Amino acid sequence: MSYTNEDYLPSFEELTVPEIQLTSAVLQAGAHQYGKYCDDTNKEFMLCISETKDPRKCLSEGKEVTKCGFEFFGKVKRDCHEEFTKYWKCVDVSGTTMELKGCREFQSIFDNCIKEKLGQDRPPLGYFSKIRVHESKRPKPPPLPHPLPDALPEPPSLDKAPEPNMHPYNPQL
Amino acid sequence: MASRTFKQDMPPKGGFGPIEWTKGVPKPKWSGYKQFSVFTGFTLASWAIWYRGELVRRREMLEMREARIAVYPLIEAERHRLYLMHCRKNRDEENELMKNHPGWITGTLYGKRPYHNVRGRFIDQSCESFYAHNKPKDMTDNTDSKFYHDLWK
Repeated sequence: MSYTNEDYLPSFEELTVPEIQLTSAVLQAGAHQYGKYCDDTNKEFMLCISETKDPRKCLSEGKEVTKCGFEFFGKVKRDCHEEFTKYWKCVDVSGTTMELKGCREFQSIFDNCIKEKLGQDRPPLGYFSKIRVHESKRPKPPPLPHPLPDALPEPPSLDKAPEPNMHPYNPQL
Repeated sequence: MASRTFKQDMPPKGGFGPIEWTKGVPKPKWSGYKQFSVFTGFTLASWAIWYRGELVRRREMLEMREARIAVYPLIEAERHRLYLMHCRKNRDEENELMKNHPGWITGTLYGKRPYHNVRGRFIDQSCESFYAHNKPKDMTDNTDSKFYHDLWK
């Protein structure tokens, strides 16, 4: 009961894109390298979301994010399949929260492979937690118009107001 | 029956000793200064060991948090698409359900919109509205879990 037929809601065709079918251990294991690889795309998407607060207006950015994810994990699968599989299988069984601290040996092998094939270093600790400035080509969306009702008529001026009646018993007043 | 000689009960030779009227407090092995300094030293050493581990633990927590931050846009993009898809399904369902009801306009309660939205912002609708065409259990399953349907958390 929230959207009328006139409200814009994207159609199913616009919303249907191939989604990444990866389990949580894979995402957890590849998170840092993925975040570095798709840094600009991700920041663009998050900036759009925080500026507009409207998922309808950030669909194209979101699709770019998913596309970039496909690109990164496709490259990993092509170039570092064996190293990455060992790594995420270790992460999968290293505790309830999939801690990365138990898999440093596999992690360094995977990072070396990424460095060799994709030419990308592992981001230093604190890279994603820092405040990062993003230069976006998209102009900042202006605030939405706020139509207000017509102003009330002005009250009559006191100068033109008629003199009040004199006091009925004391005419000097 | 042997003859018993009478013996008077008398104090020991030299008399009784002095009466002990003070409280018997054992003498401490360590003096107070030494006890306190040992306590302080031990506490400081324990704190230093704990703090070294704490720094390591903080680094590990930061690493885990960063992994989540890095993947967040990927999951968020997919989640927004699913959310909008569900909104669309809800609207189609309402059109279909209320088509024979006279005076009903989709998205309104007999012509009155439920949300005050002059600026045309995106409506973050209520949970009950979002799951209006689902089973009640679908809503409680989602609201009870951490993957809450709410867009902005």
